[in-house]
Amino acid sequence: MAEAHSPLTGLRAPALFALIGAAAVAAAPPFLDAFASNVLTRSMLYAALAVTVDLLWGYTGVLTFAQGAFFGVGAYATALMLTHLGATPALFVAALALAIVLPAALGALVGWISFYHGSTPLFASVISLVFPIVATQLVYSGGAWTGSSSGLVGYDVLPLEGEGFFRLAGLLLVAVLVAAWVFVRSDAGKLLIAVRDNEARCAYLGLDPKRIQIALTAILAAVAGLIGFVFANASSVVAPENVGFVFGTEIVIWVALGGRATLFGPAFAAIGIDYLSAQLSGDLPFLWQLVLGSLFVVTIIVAPEGAAGLARRLWRGGTAAPPRLLSLEAAPRETKAGPLLAVRGLSRGFGALTVLREIDLSVKSGELLSLVGPNGAGKTTLMRCLSDGREPFRGEIAMGGQDIAGRPPNRVAALGVGRKFQVASIFEGLSVADCLRLARASHETPSAWRASAALALPAPCVEVVKLTGLIDQLGAPARLLSHGLKQALELAMVLALEPQLVLLDEPTAGLTKGERTLIGEVLVKLTAGQGCAVVLVEHDFDFVREISSRIVVLHQGRLVMDGTVEDVANSALVREIYSGGGHG
Amino acid sequence: MLLALDILSTAAILFLVALGLLAIFGVLKIINFAHGAWLTVGAYCAVLAARLGLNPWAAVPLAFVVGLTLGGLAEILIIRPLYRRPLDAILATWGLGIVVGQLITLVFGRDVQFAPALLPGAWRIGGVEYSAYRLFAIFAALLAGALYALMFETTRLGLLARAVIMNETLARALGIDTARVRLFTFMLGTGLAGVAGVLLSPLTSVDPNMGVAWLIGAFMLAMVADASYVALGLASLAFGAVQVLVSAYVSPVLGGVAVAVLAALALRLRPRGFARG
Repeated sequence: MAEAHSPLTGLRAPALFALIGAAAVAAAPPFLDAFASNVLTRSMLYAALAVTVDLLWGYTGVLTFAQGAFFGVGAYATALMLTHLGATPALFVAALALAIVLPAALGALVGWISFYHGSTPLFASVISLVFPIVATQLVYSGGAWTGSSSGLVGYDVLPLEGEGFFRLAGLLLVAVLVAAWVFVRSDAGKLLIAVRDNEARCAYLGLDPKRIQIALTAILAAVAGLIGFVFANASSVVAPENVGFVFGTEIVIWVALGGRATLFGPAFAAIGIDYLSAQLSGDLPFLWQLVLGSLFVVTIIVAPEGAAGLARRLWRGGTAAPPRLLSLEAAPRETKAGPLLAVRGLSRGFGALTVLREIDLSVKSGELLSLVGPNGAGKTTLMRCLSDGREPFRGEIAMGGQDIAGRPPNRVAALGVGRKFQVASIFEGLSVADCLRLARASHETPSAWRASAALALPAPCVEVVKLTGLIDQLGAPARLLSHGLKQALELAMVLALEPQLVLLDEPTAGLTKGERTLIGEVLVKLTAGQGCAVVLVEHDFDFVREISSRIVVLHQGRLVMDGTVEDVANSALVREIYSGGGHG
Repeated sequence: MLLALDILSTAAILFLVALGLLAIFGVLKIINFAHGAWLTVGAYCAVLAARLGLNPWAAVPLAFVVGLTLGGLAEILIIRPLYRRPLDAILATWGLGIVVGQLITLVFGRDVQFAPALLPGAWRIGGVEYSAYRLFAIFAALLAGALYALMFETTRLGLLARAVIMNETLARALGIDTARVRLFTFMLGTGLAGVAGVLLSPLTSVDPNMGVAWLIGAFMLAMVADASYVALGLASLAFGAVQVLVSAYVSPVLGGVAVAVLAALALRLRPRGFARG
C-alpha cells in the first residue's frame, strides 16, 4: 500500500486518542460525585507524572526517584509565589514560568551530578534519592516561609471550580501521554532505547549518551514542575510529602506494576492505585500498603514487564512495515595532504604492565592496513587508544591533523573515526532499521515527532545490508539476528557514519567462509574505491594477505614490522614470532 | 573536647549503621534498599526483648540471628532471581522494605516505642561528663570493625568474598561457589544491620519508619567507601565531623543533608571513591 508510507500514518492513532481522551475528560464531570472528581483530578496528575518516570526508567533505563521531588518543587514554587506575592494574572504567569524553569535548572544540576564518564546507573539512582531528601529538609528548615511540616494552605488559586480542575488535569494527562507517545515512536525517540541498551555504542556513533540523559532529566523535570503547578492550584495545598522521596518511590511502583516502557500501563496503574488507595486507606491502611508492596516485589521478580506487558504478550499487534531503503550519494571527500592518522611515540601501560611501547604509525586515505600479532601483542589496546582520547596514553595521536587526546569517543567519532568491536555491539532492543537510522543521527538530527518511512544510508552501508541479507531483516528486532548478521549489522552501522577511518577488531571472527569473502570485498571497495582508510585487526592470515595494502606487526607492545604483504609474508621475524620463539 | 567526642561517637554510629550495607555492596554490587527495614527489625528486637523481660543485651544476639535468618530468606527468594538485573534487585529490596515495614506496623502498631537503655548514665572523660552509651558506641564500632577485618582478612569466607569483589566471573570460573558467597554475605550484612538496629534503639525513638532516616547516610558512605572497610572508617569520620560541625554551627536540620550533598559531590569529582585513592 502506498498509503503505508505516508509520513503521517503513524500519527493517526495518537491523534485519535487525543480526540477521544479530550472528549472523555470534558464529558466526565457530570457523572462523577465530588469525592471521585477530586480524587481523580489528583490521580490523573500523578498518572502524567508516572508517564515521565516511564520515559526515564522504562525507555532510557534511568531508575529515578526524583520526579516526585521535581513535581514538589514546581508545586512549592507556585504556592510560595501565590502565598507571598499575591494572585494577580501576571503573578500566575510568573508562577507557571517559575514552576517550569526552577525544576528544569535543578534537573540539569541533578543530571550533571548523576551522569558523567564512568558513572553507573546505581549512582544515578542513589543521587535521585538524595535530591528529594535534601529538598524535604530545605522545606522543613524554611520555617513560616515554606510552612515547614504543615505545608502551605489557603492561598488563592486559578479561578476554576472542581470540574474545571478535573478537566485541566485530564487534558494535561492526555497531552503528556500523546506527546510521549508521538516522541517514543519517532526517529529521535529511538535514542532513548539506544542509550538504555548500549551507551558505549551510542558514544562510538558520535552521540553523547550522558548529554542525552542530562537533557532528558532536565526536560522531564520541567514537565513534572508543570504538573506540580496544576496540582498546587487544584488541591490548594502543598505539603512536604509532595517533595519527599517516598512519593518518588511510589511513582516507580506504579510504573513497575503498570508495565515499564508502555506509557499507558503506568498511567492507568497510577490512576487505579491512587484511586483505590483513597478508597481503601480509611479501612485498611496498612494491609493495603502490604498488599501493594508484596505485589510490587512479585511483579519485579516474575513479570518485570508489568500488567501492560502481560497484556501485550497475549495480544500481539502487527509489526510496523519495514522502511524503504534509499542509497545516499557519497558526500565529496575533502582529501588533505599528509597522513589521515598520525601516531607518534604512543605508549600505554596498566600499572606496572606496559602494553604499548613507543608506537609510530601513519595511515593514509585509501589504505587497508592490517594489524597482526600474537595474543597479548597490544592490538586491541591500540584500537582503543585510537578511538578514545580519554585513554591515559602517552605520545600523540592525530586524526586529520587534530590531536585526539582528551576527546571522548563521540568527539573522536566526529573527526571521522568509526570503530567496530570484537563482540558485536548493537542496540538489542531496536529493529535493524532503527539501529541503522541511529547510526546516522550524528549527521542528520532525527525528527522528534515523525517516524520516517524511508531509510537513507550511504552507498557502502547499503551494499553491506544488501550483500549480507540484512535487507530482508530490516523490520526484525536486532537481538534476534544470528551471530553473523549481528556482526554485519555493526559493520553497516559503522559505515553509515561515513567514517574516514574505520577501525575493525576481528570483523570476521566466527563467520563462515562465504561471509568472510563478502566482507573482504566490501572493505577493498571501501578503501580502493572510496578513499576511506581501514585499520583491521585480524588473526586469519590468509584473509589479511588477500585484502591488505599494508601490514603492521605488533609484538609485546612494540611495532616490529611495517611493510607490504610480501615483506611480512616472507619475513623470518614474523615466522619466529608466531612459532613462539620471539622472546628476548 | 565535647565536640571531638560528638564527632567520634557520631562517626562510630554511622560506621555501625553502614557496615552491613558495605558488606553487601562489595560482594553483590547492589545497594540494599531494604537496609532501613533491617535496622528497624533490629530495633524492634530490642523492644521485643524488653517485653519478654530479657536482659537488654540479649537483644544483640537475637537481632543478629533474626537478621541472619530473614536475610537468608530474602536472598534466596528475591535477590537471587534478579542476579542479572541489578537495578530490579534494588527495586525489589525497596519493595521488601515496604513489606517489612507494614508487617511491623501490623504487629506492633505504628506508635513510637521506647527501648530500654543499654548503658545508662554518664562517664567523666577528659574533664567533661559524656553519655556512657555514646562512649560505648565508639568502642562498639571499633570492635565491629576489628571483627569484620579479622573475618575479611583471615577466614575462608573472607578470602572468597575478596575474590568475588575483585572479579566475580573469574572467581566462578575457578570453581568458587559464588552464589553461596553472595548468600552468606547478604546474611552477614542483614545480621549486622539488625545488631546496628539494636544499638540505635536507645538513641532514637523506635517506630516502623525509623530505618529510613539512616538510609541515605549509609548509602552514601557505602558508595564512597567502595567495598573497603578501611575507607568506610575514614569516610565515617569525615561525615561525622561534617554532620556535627554543621549541626553545631549552622543548623541541626542541615547537618544530615550536608553529609548527603558532600558525598554526592565527592563522588562526582572523585568517581572511583576514596578507596582507590
